[in-house]
Amino acid sequence: MRDVTIGQYYPSNSIVHRADPRFKLVIMLMFLVMVFFCDSFFSFGFLTFFVILTIALSRVPPLKVLKGLKMIIIVVIITTVLMMIFYTDGDGKPLAEWGIFHIYLNGIYASIKLAWRLMLLVLMPTLLTLTSTPTELCDGLESLLSPLKKLRFPVHELALIMSIALRLVPTLIEETDKIMNAQKARGAKFESKNPFKKIKAMLPVLIPLFVSSFRRADDLADAMDSRCYRGAKGRTRMNKLHFHVGDVLAVLLWSAVFVCILFLNYNWLGWEFIAVLGV
Amino acid sequence: MISVQKLSYVYSPKTPFTTQALFDVNMRIEDGDFFGIIGSTGAGKSTLVSHFNALTRVQKNSGTVIVDDMDLSAKKPDLNRLRAKVGMVFQYPEHQLFDDTVEKDVRFGPKNLGASADEQRALAKQAIELVGLDYGAVAERSPFELSGGQKRRVALAGVIAMKPQILILDEPTAGLDPVGKREIMELIVRIKAVCPTVVMISHNMDEIASYCNRIAVMSRGRVIGVFTPRELFGSRELLADCDVKLPLVTEIAARLCDGGAEIAHDILTEDELLDAIEKAVKHA
Ligand SMILES: Nc1ncnc2c1ncn2[C@@H]1O[C@H](COP(=O)(O)OP(=O)(O)OP(=O)(O)O)[C@@H](O)[C@H]1O
Ligand SMILES: [Mg+2]
Repeated sequence: MRDVTIGQYYPSNSIVHRADPRFKLVIMLMFLVMVFFCDSFFSFGFLTFFVILTIALSRVPPLKVLKGLKMIIIVVIITTVLMMIFYTDGDGKPLAEWGIFHIYLNGIYASIKLAWRLMLLVLMPTLLTLTSTPTELCDGLESLLSPLKKLRFPVHELALIMSIALRLVPTLIEETDKIMNAQKARGAKFESKNPFKKIKAMLPVLIPLFVSSFRRADDLADAMDSRCYRGAKGRTRMNKLHFHVGDVLAVLLWSAVFVCILFLNYNWLGWEFIAVLGV
Repeated sequence: MISVQKLSYVYSPKTPFTTQALFDVNMRIEDGDFFGIIGSTGAGKSTLVSHFNALTRVQKNSGTVIVDDMDLSAKKPDLNRLRAKVGMVFQYPEHQLFDDTVEKDVRFGPKNLGASADEQRALAKQAIELVGLDYGAVAERSPFELSGGQKRRVALAGVIAMKPQILILDEPTAGLDPVGKREIMELIVRIKAVCPTVVMISHNMDEIASYCNRIAVMSRGRVIGVFTPRELFGSRELLADCDVKLPLVTEIAARLCDGGAEIAHDILTEDELLDAIEKAVKHA
Protein backbone atom coordinates (compact mmCIF):
# COMPACT_ATOMS: atom_id res chain seq x y z
CA MET A 1 0.00 0.00 0.00
CA ARG A 2 2.86 2.32 0.77
CA ASP A 3 3.97 2.37 -2.84
CA VAL A 4 1.06 4.62 -3.77
CA THR A 5 2.75 7.87 -4.75
CA ILE A 6 0.10 10.53 -4.37
CA GLY A 7 2.16 12.88 -2.30
CA GLN A 8 5.39 12.14 -4.12
CA TYR A 9 7.27 15.19 -2.87
CA TYR A 10 11.02 14.82 -3.23
CA PRO A 11 12.64 16.88 -0.47
CA SER A 12 15.52 19.09 -1.51
CA ASN A 13 16.49 22.74 -1.24
CA SER A 14 16.84 23.73 -4.89
CA ILE A 15 15.63 27.01 -6.38
CA VAL A 16 12.71 25.18 -7.93
CA HIS A 17 11.69 23.83 -4.53
CA ARG A 18 12.00 27.23 -2.89
CA ALA A 19 10.05 29.07 -5.59
CA ASP A 20 6.68 30.56 -4.72
CA PRO A 21 3.95 27.97 -5.48
CA ARG A 22 1.72 30.65 -7.04
CA PHE A 23 4.36 31.41 -9.63
CA LYS A 24 4.96 27.73 -10.22
CA LEU A 25 1.27 27.24 -10.88
CA VAL A 26 1.18 30.19 -13.28
CA ILE A 27 4.22 28.89 -15.16
CA MET A 28 2.61 25.47 -15.22
CA LEU A 29 -0.54 26.88 -16.80
CA MET A 30 1.49 28.84 -19.37
CA PHE A 31 3.46 25.72 -20.15
CA LEU A 32 0.35 23.63 -20.80
CA VAL A 33 -0.93 26.24 -23.24
CA MET A 34 2.51 26.49 -24.84
CA VAL A 35 2.68 22.77 -25.52
CA PHE A 36 -0.44 23.09 -27.65
CA PHE A 37 1.08 25.92 -29.66
CA CYS A 38 4.18 23.91 -30.50
CA ASP A 39 4.00 22.61 -34.01
CA SER A 40 7.48 22.21 -35.46
CA PHE A 41 10.26 19.93 -34.33
CA PHE A 42 12.37 22.96 -33.65
CA SER A 43 9.80 24.45 -31.30
CA PHE A 44 9.43 21.12 -29.47
CA GLY A 45 13.18 20.94 -29.10
CA PHE A 46 13.30 24.52 -27.90
CA LEU A 47 10.65 23.88 -25.22
CA THR A 48 12.22 20.57 -24.20
CA PHE A 49 15.51 22.36 -23.61
CA PHE A 50 13.83 24.56 -20.98
CA VAL A 51 12.09 21.57 -19.40
CA ILE A 52 15.44 19.81 -19.05
CA LEU A 53 16.94 22.99 -17.64
CA THR A 54 14.19 23.16 -14.99
CA ILE A 55 14.66 19.51 -14.08
CA ALA A 56 18.39 20.08 -13.73
CA LEU A 57 17.80 23.13 -11.53
CA SER A 58 15.37 21.19 -9.32
CA ARG A 59 18.08 18.62 -8.46
CA VAL A 60 15.49 15.84 -8.49
CA PRO A 61 17.10 12.71 -9.94
CA PRO A 62 15.99 12.64 -13.61
CA LEU A 63 14.90 9.02 -13.21
CA LYS A 64 12.35 10.10 -10.59
CA VAL A 65 10.85 12.57 -13.03
CA LEU A 66 10.84 10.06 -15.87
CA LYS A 67 8.98 7.66 -13.58
CA GLY A 68 6.00 9.97 -14.04
CA LEU A 69 5.91 8.81 -17.65
CA LYS A 70 5.40 5.22 -16.57
CA MET A 71 1.65 5.64 -16.13
CA ILE A 72 1.09 7.03 -19.62
CA ILE A 73 3.64 5.13 -21.65
CA ILE A 74 0.99 2.62 -22.83
CA VAL A 75 -1.35 5.44 -23.87
CA VAL A 76 1.49 7.12 -25.73
CA ILE A 77 2.46 3.97 -27.60
CA ILE A 78 -1.12 3.13 -28.59
CA THR A 79 -2.02 6.63 -29.79
CA THR A 80 1.26 6.96 -31.65
CA VAL A 81 0.82 3.68 -33.47
CA LEU A 82 -2.81 4.46 -34.34
CA MET A 83 -1.84 7.90 -35.55
CA MET A 84 0.93 6.46 -37.68
CA ILE A 85 -1.16 3.82 -39.46
CA PHE A 86 -4.30 5.87 -40.01
CA TYR A 87 -2.79 9.26 -40.91
CA THR A 88 -3.77 10.13 -44.45
CA ASP A 89 -1.80 12.67 -46.46
CA GLY A 90 -3.73 13.82 -49.53
CA ASP A 91 -0.66 15.02 -51.43
CA GLY A 92 2.09 12.54 -50.58
CA LYS A 93 2.66 8.94 -51.58
CA PRO A 94 2.45 6.29 -48.83
CA LEU A 95 5.75 4.65 -47.86
CA ALA A 96 3.97 1.38 -47.11
CA GLU A 97 0.45 0.01 -47.25
CA TRP A 98 -1.42 -3.03 -45.84
CA GLY A 99 -5.14 -2.94 -46.60
CA ILE A 100 -6.67 -0.06 -44.68
CA PHE A 101 -3.36 0.71 -42.91
CA HIS A 102 -0.76 2.93 -44.50
CA ILE A 103 2.27 4.91 -43.47
CA TYR A 104 3.11 8.34 -44.84
CA LEU A 105 6.24 10.34 -44.10
CA ASN A 106 4.12 13.15 -42.70
CA GLY A 107 2.23 10.57 -40.64
CA ILE A 108 5.49 9.55 -38.98
CA TYR A 109 6.29 13.19 -38.23
CA ALA A 110 2.80 13.81 -36.84
CA SER A 111 2.89 10.76 -34.56
CA ILE A 112 6.33 11.62 -33.20
CA LYS A 113 5.07 15.11 -32.41
CA LEU A 114 2.00 13.66 -30.71
CA ALA A 115 4.08 11.39 -28.49
CA TRP A 116 6.46 14.24 -27.69
CA ARG A 117 3.56 16.51 -26.77
CA LEU A 118 1.97 13.92 -24.48
CA MET A 119 5.25 13.34 -22.69
CA LEU A 120 5.88 17.06 -22.18
CA LEU A 121 2.33 17.40 -20.83
CA VAL A 122 3.07 14.80 -18.14
CA LEU A 123 6.66 15.74 -17.31
CA MET A 124 6.05 19.24 -16.01
CA PRO A 125 3.13 18.41 -13.71
CA THR A 126 5.21 15.53 -12.37
CA LEU A 127 8.04 17.92 -11.67
CA LEU A 128 5.60 20.30 -9.99
CA THR A 129 4.37 17.64 -7.54
CA LEU A 130 7.92 16.46 -6.93
CA THR A 131 9.09 19.93 -5.98
CA SER A 132 6.08 21.32 -4.07
CA THR A 133 4.24 19.86 -1.10
CA PRO A 134 0.49 19.43 -1.44
CA THR A 135 0.01 22.13 1.18
CA GLU A 136 2.07 24.61 -0.81
CA LEU A 137 0.03 23.86 -3.90
CA CYS A 138 -3.23 24.32 -1.99
CA ASP A 139 -2.08 27.62 -0.54
CA GLY A 140 -0.92 28.76 -3.95
CA LEU A 141 -4.22 27.83 -5.53
CA GLU A 142 -6.20 29.57 -2.81
CA SER A 143 -4.18 32.72 -3.27
CA LEU A 144 -4.52 32.63 -7.06
CA LEU A 145 -8.27 32.06 -6.86
CA SER A 146 -8.83 34.69 -4.17
CA PRO A 147 -10.26 37.27 -6.64
CA LEU A 148 -13.23 34.88 -6.98
CA LYS A 149 -14.10 35.67 -3.35
CA LYS A 150 -15.65 38.86 -4.63
CA LEU A 151 -18.17 36.70 -6.45
CA ARG A 152 -18.96 34.90 -3.17
CA PHE A 153 -17.19 31.79 -4.38
CA PRO A 154 -16.04 29.87 -1.21
CA VAL A 155 -12.34 29.82 -2.14
CA HIS A 156 -11.05 29.45 1.41
CA GLU A 157 -13.43 26.62 2.28
CA LEU A 158 -12.55 24.81 -0.92
CA ALA A 159 -8.84 25.15 -0.25
CA LEU A 160 -9.37 23.96 3.33
CA ILE A 161 -11.28 20.88 2.19
CA MET A 162 -8.58 20.15 -0.34
CA SER A 163 -5.72 20.53 2.09
CA ILE A 164 -7.45 18.41 4.74
CA ALA A 165 -8.10 15.71 2.15
CA LEU A 166 -4.49 15.80 0.96
CA ARG A 167 -3.20 15.86 4.50
CA LEU A 168 -5.23 12.76 5.38
CA VAL A 169 -4.17 10.65 2.41
CA PRO A 170 -0.96 9.40 4.05
CA THR A 171 -2.79 8.91 7.35
CA LEU A 172 -5.45 6.88 5.60
CA ILE A 173 -2.84 4.77 3.84
CA GLU A 174 -1.10 4.15 7.13
CA GLU A 175 -4.39 3.23 8.79
CA THR A 176 -5.29 0.87 5.93
CA ASP A 177 -1.90 -0.76 6.32
CA LYS A 178 -2.42 -1.25 10.04
CA ILE A 179 -5.90 -2.71 9.70
CA MET A 180 -4.85 -4.97 6.83
CA ASN A 181 -2.01 -6.25 8.99
CA ALA A 182 -4.36 -6.86 11.89
CA GLN A 183 -6.73 -8.84 9.67
CA LYS A 184 -3.88 -10.72 8.01
CA ALA A 185 -2.74 -11.73 11.48
CA ARG A 186 -6.23 -13.22 11.87
CA GLY A 187 -5.66 -15.26 8.73
CA ALA A 188 -7.41 -12.96 6.22
CA LYS A 189 -6.26 -13.22 2.59
CA PHE A 190 -6.48 -10.38 0.13
CA GLU A 191 -4.96 -12.01 -2.93
CA SER A 192 -8.08 -13.54 -4.49
CA LYS A 193 -8.38 -13.20 -8.28
CA ASN A 194 -12.18 -13.15 -8.40
CA PRO A 195 -13.22 -9.46 -8.14
CA PHE A 196 -16.38 -10.21 -6.11
CA LYS A 197 -14.43 -12.30 -3.64
CA LYS A 198 -11.83 -9.57 -3.52
CA ILE A 199 -14.39 -6.94 -2.55
CA LYS A 200 -15.83 -9.27 0.05
CA ALA A 201 -12.35 -9.90 1.41
CA MET A 202 -11.80 -6.14 1.69
CA LEU A 203 -14.88 -5.60 3.91
CA PRO A 204 -13.00 -6.39 7.14
CA VAL A 205 -10.63 -3.56 6.17
CA LEU A 206 -13.12 -1.05 4.74
CA ILE A 207 -15.54 -1.10 7.65
CA PRO A 208 -12.99 -0.31 10.37
CA LEU A 209 -11.48 2.24 8.00
CA PHE A 210 -14.81 4.04 7.63
CA VAL A 211 -15.46 3.88 11.35
CA SER A 212 -12.10 5.41 12.13
CA SER A 213 -12.45 8.04 9.39
CA PHE A 214 -15.73 9.23 10.86
CA ARG A 215 -14.20 9.28 14.31
CA ARG A 216 -11.24 11.25 12.97
CA ALA A 217 -13.51 13.72 11.17
CA ASP A 218 -15.49 14.24 14.37
CA ASP A 219 -12.32 14.79 16.37
CA LEU A 220 -10.97 17.21 13.80
CA ALA A 221 -14.21 19.20 13.81
CA ASP A 222 -14.12 19.36 17.61
CA ALA A 223 -10.48 20.39 17.59
CA MET A 224 -11.19 23.18 15.08
CA ASP A 225 -14.23 24.32 17.04
CA SER A 226 -12.33 24.44 20.29
CA ARG A 227 -9.70 26.63 18.61
CA CYS A 228 -12.47 29.02 17.55
CA TYR A 229 -12.26 28.31 13.83
CA ARG A 230 -14.94 30.40 12.14
CA GLY A 231 -14.19 30.14 8.44
CA ALA A 232 -12.41 32.58 6.18
CA LYS A 233 -13.69 35.83 7.62
CA GLY A 234 -10.97 37.87 9.31
CA ARG A 235 -8.55 34.96 9.17
CA THR A 236 -4.83 35.64 8.74
CA ARG A 237 -2.19 33.12 7.72
CA MET A 238 0.74 31.83 9.67
CA ASN A 239 2.84 31.05 6.61
CA LYS A 240 2.30 33.95 4.27
CA LEU A 241 3.44 33.30 0.76
CA HIS A 242 6.28 35.58 -0.27
CA PHE A 243 7.63 35.92 -3.74
CA HIS A 244 11.16 36.91 -4.59
CA VAL A 245 12.92 38.48 -7.53
CA GLY A 246 13.78 35.01 -8.76
CA ASP A 247 10.09 34.07 -9.04
CA VAL A 248 9.35 37.12 -11.16
CA LEU A 249 12.40 36.42 -13.31
CA ALA A 250 11.28 32.84 -13.82
CA VAL A 251 7.84 33.95 -14.98
CA LEU A 252 9.46 36.51 -17.31
CA LEU A 253 11.79 33.87 -18.70
CA TRP A 254 8.94 31.48 -19.40
CA SER A 255 6.91 34.29 -20.96
CA ALA A 256 9.85 34.93 -23.27
CA VAL A 257 9.90 31.23 -24.13
CA PHE A 258 6.18 31.47 -24.89
CA VAL A 259 6.72 34.42 -27.23
CA CYS A 260 9.57 32.61 -28.97
CA ILE A 261 7.36 29.58 -29.52
CA LEU A 262 4.62 31.75 -30.97
CA PHE A 263 7.15 33.34 -33.32
CA LEU A 264 8.55 29.98 -34.31
CA ASN A 265 5.14 28.73 -35.31
CA TYR A 266 3.50 31.80 -36.84
CA ASN A 267 6.54 33.64 -38.19
CA TRP A 268 4.61 36.93 -38.16
CA LEU A 269 7.55 38.92 -39.47
CA GLY A 270 8.26 36.47 -42.29
CA TRP A 271 11.84 35.81 -41.21
CA GLU A 272 13.70 33.49 -43.54
CA PHE A 273 15.52 31.36 -40.91
CA ILE A 274 12.31 30.56 -39.08
CA ALA A 275 10.69 29.42 -42.28
CA VAL A 276 13.57 27.00 -42.71
CA LEU A 277 13.44 25.72 -39.14
CA GLY A 278 9.70 25.47 -38.90
CA VAL A 279 9.10 22.08 -40.51
CA MET B 1 10.38 -20.96 20.56
CA ILE B 2 11.29 -17.85 18.60
CA SER B 3 14.89 -17.34 17.63
CA VAL B 4 16.11 -14.11 16.07
CA GLN B 5 19.60 -13.93 14.61
CA LYS B 6 21.40 -10.91 13.20
CA LEU B 7 18.12 -9.33 12.19
CA SER B 8 18.20 -5.88 10.53
CA TYR B 9 15.34 -4.03 8.93
CA VAL B 10 15.18 -0.90 6.79
CA TYR B 11 11.96 1.00 6.05
CA SER B 12 11.58 2.45 2.54
CA PRO B 13 15.02 1.40 1.32
CA LYS B 14 16.60 3.45 -1.48
CA THR B 15 14.40 6.53 -1.00
CA PRO B 16 15.08 9.85 0.73
CA PHE B 17 12.87 8.63 3.60
CA THR B 18 14.82 5.52 4.41
CA THR B 19 15.13 4.65 8.13
CA GLN B 20 16.86 1.69 9.61
CA ALA B 21 14.57 0.38 12.34
CA LEU B 22 16.57 -2.69 13.46
CA PHE B 23 20.31 -3.28 13.73
CA ASP B 24 21.72 -6.78 14.22
CA VAL B 25 19.12 -8.03 16.70
CA ASN B 26 19.77 -11.37 18.42
CA MET B 27 17.46 -13.00 20.94
CA ARG B 28 15.66 -16.17 21.83
CA ILE B 29 12.22 -16.55 23.35
CA GLU B 30 11.60 -19.96 24.96
CA ASP B 31 8.31 -21.82 25.22
CA GLY B 32 6.53 -20.85 28.42
CA ASP B 33 8.17 -17.43 28.67
CA PHE B 34 6.26 -14.33 29.63
CA PHE B 35 8.64 -12.20 27.63
CA GLY B 36 8.65 -8.42 27.99
CA ILE B 37 10.05 -5.96 25.45
CA ILE B 38 10.70 -2.41 26.61
CA GLY B 39 12.38 0.65 25.13
CA SER B 40 11.59 4.24 24.33
CA THR B 41 9.31 5.21 21.42
CA GLY B 42 10.79 4.48 18.04
CA ALA B 43 13.16 1.88 19.47
CA GLY B 44 11.90 -0.69 16.98
CA LYS B 45 9.78 -2.88 19.27
CA SER B 46 6.75 -3.05 16.99
CA THR B 47 8.94 -3.61 13.95
CA LEU B 48 10.67 -6.51 15.69
CA VAL B 49 7.52 -8.32 16.80
CA SER B 50 5.81 -7.88 13.43
CA HIS B 51 8.52 -10.19 12.07
CA PHE B 52 7.31 -12.98 14.36
CA ASN B 53 4.25 -13.76 12.26
CA ALA B 54 5.69 -12.60 8.95
CA LEU B 55 3.62 -9.44 8.65
CA THR B 56 6.99 -7.83 8.11
CA ARG B 57 9.13 -10.08 5.95
CA VAL B 58 12.80 -10.58 6.68
CA GLN B 59 14.72 -8.56 4.10
CA LYS B 60 17.42 -10.05 1.90
CA ASN B 61 20.67 -10.83 3.72
CA SER B 62 19.31 -9.27 6.91
CA GLY B 63 19.40 -12.20 9.30
CA THR B 64 16.96 -14.95 10.22
CA VAL B 65 13.83 -15.41 12.31
CA ILE B 66 12.88 -18.96 13.29
CA VAL B 67 9.58 -19.87 14.94
CA ASP B 68 9.67 -23.49 16.15
CA ASP B 69 10.46 -25.37 12.94
CA MET B 70 9.59 -22.58 10.50
CA ASP B 71 12.25 -20.37 8.96
CA LEU B 72 10.57 -17.03 8.24
CA SER B 73 13.46 -15.80 6.12
CA ALA B 74 12.66 -18.58 3.63
CA LYS B 75 11.01 -17.50 0.43
CA LYS B 76 7.56 -18.93 1.11
CA PRO B 77 6.89 -19.85 4.72
CA ASP B 78 3.57 -21.61 5.39
CA LEU B 79 1.68 -18.47 6.40
CA ASN B 80 -1.50 -20.30 7.37
CA ARG B 81 0.26 -22.54 9.84
CA LEU B 82 2.34 -19.62 11.13
CA ARG B 83 -0.64 -17.33 11.73
CA ALA B 84 -2.50 -20.13 13.51
CA LYS B 85 0.50 -20.61 15.76
CA VAL B 86 1.43 -16.98 16.45
CA GLY B 87 -1.43 -14.72 17.52
CA MET B 88 -0.80 -11.01 17.25
CA VAL B 89 -2.71 -8.33 19.13
CA PHE B 90 -1.85 -4.86 17.88
CA GLN B 91 -1.99 -1.59 19.74
CA TYR B 92 -5.63 -0.46 20.03
CA PRO B 93 -6.92 -3.79 18.67
CA GLU B 94 -10.52 -2.57 19.03
CA HIS B 95 -9.97 -0.58 15.83
CA GLN B 96 -9.97 -3.80 13.81
CA LEU B 97 -13.54 -4.88 14.72
CA PHE B 98 -15.80 -4.97 11.69
CA ASP B 99 -18.63 -7.48 11.79
CA ASP B 100 -22.21 -6.77 12.83
CA THR B 101 -22.20 -9.10 15.83
CA VAL B 102 -19.53 -9.88 18.40
CA GLU B 103 -19.81 -13.61 17.73
CA LYS B 104 -19.29 -13.25 13.98
CA ASP B 105 -16.33 -10.99 14.52
CA VAL B 106 -14.65 -13.49 16.84
CA ARG B 107 -15.35 -16.29 14.35
CA PHE B 108 -13.44 -14.47 11.62
CA GLY B 109 -10.05 -15.94 12.60
CA PRO B 110 -11.11 -19.60 12.91
CA LYS B 111 -13.11 -19.25 9.69
CA ASN B 112 -10.02 -18.06 7.81
CA LEU B 113 -8.13 -21.06 9.16
CA GLY B 114 -10.76 -23.33 7.65
CA ALA B 115 -12.64 -24.48 10.76
CA SER B 116 -16.16 -25.88 10.28
CA ALA B 117 -19.19 -23.80 11.34
CA ASP B 118 -19.68 -25.83 14.53
CA GLU B 119 -16.01 -25.57 15.44
CA GLN B 120 -16.09 -21.83 14.77
CA ARG B 121 -19.04 -21.39 17.10
CA ALA B 122 -17.46 -23.48 19.84
CA LEU B 123 -14.13 -21.65 19.56
CA ALA B 124 -15.84 -18.25 19.61
CA LYS B 125 -17.85 -19.18 22.71
CA GLN B 126 -14.73 -20.41 24.52
CA ALA B 127 -12.77 -17.31 23.58
CA ILE B 128 -15.48 -14.85 24.55
CA GLU B 129 -15.88 -16.54 27.92
CA LEU B 130 -12.12 -16.69 28.43
CA VAL B 131 -11.83 -12.91 28.07
CA GLY B 132 -14.43 -12.52 30.79
CA LEU B 133 -17.46 -11.47 28.78
CA ASP B 134 -20.92 -12.97 29.23
CA TYR B 135 -21.46 -14.95 26.02
CA GLY B 136 -25.25 -14.90 26.23
CA ALA B 137 -25.32 -11.14 26.75
CA VAL B 138 -22.82 -9.94 24.13
CA ALA B 139 -22.73 -12.60 21.39
CA GLU B 140 -25.51 -11.07 19.32
CA ARG B 141 -24.71 -7.42 20.03
CA SER B 142 -22.87 -5.14 17.64
CA PRO B 143 -19.23 -4.71 18.69
CA PHE B 144 -19.54 -0.99 17.95
CA GLU B 145 -22.01 -0.38 20.77
CA LEU B 146 -19.80 -1.85 23.49
CA SER B 147 -17.61 0.16 25.85
CA GLY B 148 -13.92 0.70 25.04
CA GLY B 149 -12.73 -1.95 27.50
CA GLN B 150 -15.31 -4.46 26.27
CA LYS B 151 -14.30 -3.82 22.64
CA ARG B 152 -10.70 -4.54 23.50
CA ARG B 153 -11.74 -7.84 25.09
CA VAL B 154 -13.70 -8.78 21.99
CA ALA B 155 -10.66 -8.00 19.84
CA LEU B 156 -8.51 -10.15 22.14
CA ALA B 157 -11.08 -12.94 21.87
CA GLY B 158 -10.82 -12.69 18.09
CA VAL B 159 -7.15 -13.64 18.34
CA ILE B 160 -7.54 -16.20 21.16
CA ALA B 161 -10.21 -18.02 19.13
CA MET B 162 -7.46 -19.09 16.72
CA LYS B 163 -5.85 -21.09 19.56
CA PRO B 164 -2.35 -19.65 19.14
CA GLN B 165 0.66 -21.21 20.87
CA ILE B 166 2.45 -17.89 21.06
CA LEU B 167 0.61 -14.66 21.81
CA ILE B 168 2.16 -11.30 20.96
CA LEU B 169 0.73 -8.19 22.57
CA ASP B 170 1.71 -4.68 21.50
CA GLU B 171 0.96 -2.38 24.43
CA PRO B 172 -2.21 -4.24 25.45
CA THR B 173 -3.13 -1.77 28.19
CA ALA B 174 -2.48 1.50 26.33
CA GLY B 175 -5.18 4.08 26.81
CA LEU B 176 -7.02 2.30 29.65
CA ASP B 177 -7.65 3.55 33.18
CA PRO B 178 -5.77 1.83 36.06
CA VAL B 179 -8.62 -0.58 36.81
CA GLY B 180 -8.98 -1.45 33.13
CA LYS B 181 -5.21 -1.98 32.89
CA ARG B 182 -5.24 -4.39 35.82
CA GLU B 183 -8.20 -6.30 34.45
CA ILE B 184 -6.52 -6.77 31.09
CA MET B 185 -3.30 -7.95 32.75
CA GLU B 186 -5.21 -10.47 34.87
CA LEU B 187 -6.93 -11.59 31.72
CA ILE B 188 -3.59 -12.13 30.01
CA VAL B 189 -2.44 -14.29 32.91
CA ARG B 190 -5.58 -16.41 32.48
CA ILE B 191 -4.93 -16.66 28.74
CA LYS B 192 -1.39 -17.79 29.42
CA ALA B 193 -2.83 -21.01 30.90
CA VAL B 194 -3.99 -22.03 27.41
CA CYS B 195 -1.41 -20.16 25.31
CA PRO B 196 1.89 -20.91 27.03
CA THR B 197 4.16 -18.30 25.46
CA VAL B 198 3.36 -14.60 25.74
CA VAL B 199 5.43 -11.72 24.35
CA MET B 200 4.40 -8.29 25.56
CA ILE B 201 5.55 -4.84 24.55
CA SER B 202 4.85 -2.28 27.26
CA HIS B 203 5.85 1.15 28.48
CA ASN B 204 4.45 0.35 31.90
CA MET B 205 7.27 -0.90 34.14
CA ASP B 206 4.83 -2.02 36.86
CA GLU B 207 3.28 -4.52 34.47
CA ILE B 208 6.64 -5.62 33.12
CA ALA B 209 8.11 -6.13 36.60
CA SER B 210 5.20 -8.05 38.05
CA TYR B 211 4.34 -10.35 35.14
CA CYS B 212 7.38 -10.98 32.91
CA ASN B 213 10.05 -13.59 33.59
CA ARG B 214 12.46 -12.18 31.00
CA ILE B 215 12.83 -8.68 29.63
CA ALA B 216 14.54 -7.43 26.48
CA VAL B 217 15.62 -3.81 26.57
CA MET B 218 15.71 -2.07 23.20
CA SER B 219 17.18 1.25 22.21
CA ARG B 220 17.47 2.80 18.77
CA GLY B 221 16.96 -0.43 16.88
CA ARG B 222 19.27 -2.57 19.01
CA VAL B 223 18.62 -5.04 21.83
CA ILE B 224 20.83 -3.85 24.68
CA GLY B 225 20.29 -7.04 26.62
CA VAL B 226 17.85 -9.64 27.92
CA PHE B 227 17.49 -9.77 31.70
CA THR B 228 15.34 -11.27 34.42
CA PRO B 229 13.29 -8.62 36.23
CA ARG B 230 15.42 -8.97 39.35
CA GLU B 231 18.63 -8.48 37.40
CA LEU B 232 17.28 -5.42 35.64
CA PHE B 233 15.35 -3.66 38.39
CA GLY B 234 17.77 -4.73 41.13
CA SER B 235 20.79 -3.09 39.58
CA ARG B 236 20.95 0.67 39.51
CA GLU B 237 23.88 0.70 37.08
CA LEU B 238 21.99 -1.46 34.61
CA LEU B 239 18.89 0.73 34.91
CA ALA B 240 20.94 3.85 34.28
CA ASP B 241 22.73 2.20 31.33
CA CYS B 242 19.47 1.15 29.74
CA ASP B 243 17.68 4.39 30.62
CA VAL B 244 14.82 2.49 32.27
CA LYS B 245 12.56 3.86 35.01
CA LEU B 246 11.77 1.91 38.15
CA PRO B 247 8.37 0.29 38.69
CA LEU B 248 6.38 2.08 41.39
CA VAL B 249 6.74 -0.68 44.03
CA THR B 250 10.48 -0.99 43.46
CA GLU B 251 10.81 2.77 43.74
CA ILE B 252 8.94 2.74 47.09
CA ALA B 253 11.11 -0.11 48.34
CA ALA B 254 14.25 1.70 47.25
CA ARG B 255 13.20 4.92 49.03
CA LEU B 256 12.34 3.00 52.22
CA CYS B 257 15.65 1.22 51.96
CA ASP B 258 17.50 4.53 51.54
CA GLY B 259 15.61 5.86 54.53
CA GLY B 260 17.03 3.08 56.69
CA ALA B 261 14.23 0.51 56.65
CA GLU B 262 15.24 -3.14 56.39
CA ILE B 263 13.71 -3.83 53.03
CA ALA B 264 15.24 -5.43 49.97
CA HIS B 265 15.70 -3.01 47.10
CA ASP B 266 14.78 -5.44 44.32
CA ILE B 267 11.10 -5.82 45.12
CA LEU B 268 8.92 -6.39 42.07
CA THR B 269 5.29 -6.87 43.07
CA GLU B 270 2.84 -5.28 45.48
CA ASP B 271 2.55 -8.51 47.47
CA GLU B 272 6.30 -8.68 47.96
CA LEU B 273 6.34 -5.08 49.09
CA LEU B 274 3.51 -5.61 51.58
CA ASP B 275 5.24 -8.70 53.01
CA ALA B 276 8.53 -6.85 53.30
CA ILE B 277 6.94 -3.86 55.03
CA GLU B 278 5.04 -6.11 57.43
CA LYS B 279 8.24 -7.93 58.33
CA ALA B 280 10.15 -4.70 58.74
CA VAL B 281 7.44 -3.25 61.01
CA LYS B 282 7.32 -6.40 63.15
CA HIS B 283 11.09 -6.37 63.39
CA ALA B 284 11.05 -2.79 64.59
N1 LIG C 1 5.83 2.19 8.19
C1 LIG C 1 6.97 2.83 8.46
N2 LIG C 1 7.63 3.50 7.49
C2 LIG C 1 8.79 4.13 7.75
N3 LIG C 1 9.38 4.15 8.96
C3 LIG C 1 8.77 3.51 9.98
C4 LIG C 1 7.52 2.82 9.78
N4 LIG C 1 7.15 2.28 10.96
C5 LIG C 1 8.10 2.62 11.84
N5 LIG C 1 9.07 3.36 11.27
C6 LIG C 1 10.29 3.86 11.93
O1 LIG C 1 10.98 2.77 12.48
C7 LIG C 1 11.44 3.04 13.78
C8 LIG C 1 10.92 2.01 14.75
O2 LIG C 1 9.52 2.10 14.84
P1 LIG C 1 8.64 1.13 15.74
O3 LIG C 1 7.21 1.41 15.43
O4 LIG C 1 9.10 -0.26 15.58
O5 LIG C 1 8.98 1.67 17.20
P2 LIG C 1 8.36 1.22 18.60
O6 LIG C 1 9.51 0.81 19.44
O7 LIG C 1 7.27 0.25 18.39
O8 LIG C 1 7.79 2.60 19.15
P3 LIG C 1 6.47 2.85 20.03
O9 LIG C 1 6.84 2.59 21.43
O10 LIG C 1 6.21 4.31 19.80
O11 LIG C 1 5.38 1.99 19.50
C9 LIG C 1 11.00 4.47 14.09
O12 LIG C 1 12.11 5.31 13.89
C10 LIG C 1 9.93 4.76 13.08
O13 LIG C 1 9.99 6.13 12.71
MG1 LIG D 1 5.08 0.37 18.65
